Amino acid sequence: MSATLAHPSTVTPEMEKAQRALIDESTRVPVILFYGSAIFWLLIGTLFALLASFKMNAPTFLDQWSWLTFGRVRPAHLNAVAYGWASAAGIGTALWLMARLCRTPLRYSKLLISAAIFWNIGVLLGILGILSGDGRSIEWLEFPNYASFMLFVAFGLIAVWAILMFRFREPGHIYVSQWYLLAAFLWFPWLYSTANILLNFQPIQGGAQGAVNWWYGHNALGLWFTPIGLATAYYLIPKVLGRPIHSYYLSILGFWSLALFYSWNGMHHLIGGPFPAWLISASVVASVMMFIPVITTAINHHMTVRGNFQALKWSPTLRFTVFGAMCYTLASVQGSFMAIPSLNVVTHFTHYTVGHAHLGLYAFFTMIMFGAMYYILPRVVGWEWPSARLIRWHFWLVAIGIGMMVVVLTLGGLLQGLALLDPEITFMASLDYTKPWLFLRSVSGLLLTAGHIVFAVSFTLLLLKTGATRTEPTLFGSDQGRQPEPLNV
Amino acid sequence: MNRMPVIVIGVFLTFFSSWLGLVAYPYFNLGRYTPVVDENTGDINPPPLSGLAERGQQVYASAGCVYCHSQQVRQVGYGSDLERGWGSRPTVARDYMRESPVFLGTMRTGPDLANIGARQPSAMWHHQHLYQPAVVSPGSIMPSYRYLYETRQIEGQRSAEAIDLLPPDNPPEGYEIVPTYEAEALVAYLTSLNRNYPLPEAPEPPQ
Amino acid sequence: MIDDPHKAGSDELQSHLEGEGLNVRDVHGAILREKDDPRDGYEPIPLWLVSAFMALVFWAGAYLSFYSGGFQADVFDPVQVSWAGGGAAVKGPPDPMVVGKRLFTANCVACHQPTGQGVAGQFPPLAGSEWVLAGDWHGDNHLIRILLHGLQGPVQVKGSTYNGAMAPWKQLKDEQIAMILTYIRNEWGNSAPPITAEQVAKVREETAGQTEPYTQTQLQAIPAVKYESAAPPAPEVQTAPGGGDVAPPAPAQPPSATPAAA
Repeated sequence: MSATLAHPSTVTPEMEKAQRALIDESTRVPVILFYGSAIFWLLIGTLFALLASFKMNAPTFLDQWSWLTFGRVRPAHLNAVAYGWASAAGIGTALWLMARLCRTPLRYSKLLISAAIFWNIGVLLGILGILSGDGRSIEWLEFPNYASFMLFVAFGLIAVWAILMFRFREPGHIYVSQWYLLAAFLWFPWLYSTANILLNFQPIQGGAQGAVNWWYGHNALGLWFTPIGLATAYYLIPKVLGRPIHSYYLSILGFWSLALFYSWNGMHHLIGGPFPAWLISASVVASVMMFIPVITTAINHHMTVRGNFQALKWSPTLRFTVFGAMCYTLASVQGSFMAIPSLNVVTHFTHYTVGHAHLGLYAFFTMIMFGAMYYILPRVVGWEWPSARLIRWHFWLVAIGIGMMVVVLTLGGLLQGLALLDPEITFMASLDYTKPWLFLRSVSGLLLTAGHIVFAVSFTLLLLKTGATRTEPTLFGSDQGRQPEPLNV
Repeated sequence: MNRMPVIVIGVFLTFFSSWLGLVAYPYFNLGRYTPVVDENTGDINPPPLSGLAERGQQVYASAGCVYCHSQQVRQVGYGSDLERGWGSRPTVARDYMRESPVFLGTMRTGPDLANIGARQPSAMWHHQHLYQPAVVSPGSIMPSYRYLYETRQIEGQRSAEAIDLLPPDNPPEGYEIVPTYEAEALVAYLTSLNRNYPLPEAPEPPQ
Repeated sequence: MIDDPHKAGSDELQSHLEGEGLNVRDVHGAILREKDDPRDGYEPIPLWLVSAFMALVFWAGAYLSFYSGGFQADVFDPVQVSWAGGGAAVKGPPDPMVVGKRLFTANCVACHQPTGQGVAGQFPPLAGSEWVLAGDWHGDNHLIRILLHGLQGPVQVKGSTYNGAMAPWKQLKDEQIAMILTYIRNEWGNSAPPITAEQVAKVREETAGQTEPYTQTQLQAIPAVKYESAAPPAPEVQTAPGGGDVAPPAPAQPPSATPAAA
């Protein structure tokens, strides 16, 4: 058994495994708390998504009540999935990864448990606030102050925890996932507090608000979700395959170019808008420069997997994670092109952007989170997934669902955008072009909903430790008697 | 990269650069405007909002109008905003100095509203449209905001503020539909949306 | 409790785990079959990648130099290159119909109404008015004089008599008066040549001594001047006070020439 670089030579493989047992044990309560919350909010957020989508197909649907008006259900959806599902899943994954990579059992778990409680209270208050009309209508920052304050307290606790964990890590090589996780935990509280103070607590004058809004909005994606997603992929892909990451140098280039360029992207949400030309152009440039970290990471991941793609046939973790990693490349490349003004003039203000957002936050981040849950949960619960069939249904429902959603929104958005460009075409005509695609989007939403329900059932069965004791992991095909194929290590 | 301080400092510096560019710079250059007096007419631009319209901004936020409507007129030759009559000139940062929050918007499921007060100055039109958008604009997928209106019995004479509605939403005999305070505020805000004044950095385009 | 698990010996760990009721083999079968934690490989960065990145950096610099509006805070159009500094968008000449309408709305509608119809018996209309269109005995010069110095006493407009007073507007700038007059001459169905700021300036200079608003009689005594008329210029008749307006040049000039001072 080859020793890893970081390990002092005194640690035997036996001890290493025992350490991992301790580490997993120590992470159990916080991880299950965050994952459980995340899956709960995934279901809630999916419900709001369906409502919003149906309302675009049939505007009279449930339109009697102010708390279900589209303008409230839509931000309720975004906040539930962004802060309720994605952030909680990301935190749960991150803390397990930090503990494993720092090779030290999780300490100060009470900090994390408090954080989880504050988190959930904050999200709940925020969603109820939006539905009752207290929403701020600032995209990504709709939560009223009483809710965002809770989230900020929770974030603060987690950031403190992350720094302490990092301090107590085993000395030696810091693995690439740890760079991304540490960065994410430092970036996000700064982002969240600055944006909320300048837009919600002590709003600055209107002319400047748009810039701060989208500095935050884009960085929530690029400096919070993306690093956690990449950290997870950088861990799970080589871990499951037992192969090294292709190139340490590519990892360094990828990390620092992401840190430098991603944070300047924000203004690409406002191309053509009322801001100084140089600010918009700077964001256009930064968005295109994102090719550097994205291609770098894609090469790194691809070369790590190369020769072993058959592993996706049997490993749920790998299938979800590699799907997500590929969609990261796809979404980011699409984003770089979308930021070019001659293309942006077509896609801006259309459903194309909505499709892009779901390609990023769902097809990339959420799929990787599913992959992480499939790997981590058996280790913290001490039980294997009860049903390979449920995993298979989950995968295909959400994969087809998100694929369909992205395609129909992209096509509908393009038609809408091209129509909007031509002043001879009436505005109402541009709206008419989108209607059949919005209907298909609702269909894709139903597929995703079914997939989430399947996953929630699977998760519940796992927690309840149902089914026979397994000595082997629950892999695709294990319910059909198929064996995993050998890898080319 | 095996030392934590290296990572922390690098992470801090890269992020700080974006904070300087996208937060500090906008605050100092776009966040401290004063209104301008038009040398020709003596008007104050952008004009101050009435108290009712200020309240209307909050109703606009509460209802989530920004998720379908933008409020920005893009540059000459970039998109067809000007050709569609959505404004007489592109909007600039100072146009939004009196708004909080700012509703620039990122979706045009519905048309841009930056100058809707110039295109549709009639308050009655707005009330009708908010109550029955699909009747006023056939094909529209805008939901009805009738939760902002009250149906009540006519006492004596019909109220001055009662709104006229077409079937199937017209009230039964003896009843009238009146806007609530929130609806009046929202319409006051909508009719105030007019950025067709010149600014030093945004003069009227020449004919 | 073990203080530092990575310093603990294997036996110590095992007994600790058993003390916690855990047996590594039973509870964490997953851990037993798990592969080692990820490690780094050291493949070099491909050269084509580096070249592509350099090309991107070059593109970035070029893009920023062309589309940054000189990095000014008040240049909003990225296509407009403004390295000269001093910022704002290149101003074209203001449109008299737009600005003139604003000025008219700000200053004149109280009496003459936004419709240009005036108020019967009180304020004369501007729509179709011979005073505005330089019809009958009226000239462009009369119109400018009225704006500068006002009007009083009975006046005949479109067959009706009005006996009010119009205040002087000499406090407005030449460009502003010119735009107002151009506006009223081309709105409400009116159609007449525009008035320029220079024409206003000349009249202002010549009538500098005027202290009282004009009466209709006084104006009728001043010969009409039409600045863009094709008709041969009228001979000059000097009367006092008020002086003459810009004197048309000698009849030797071709009739179609615009008077030099216009």
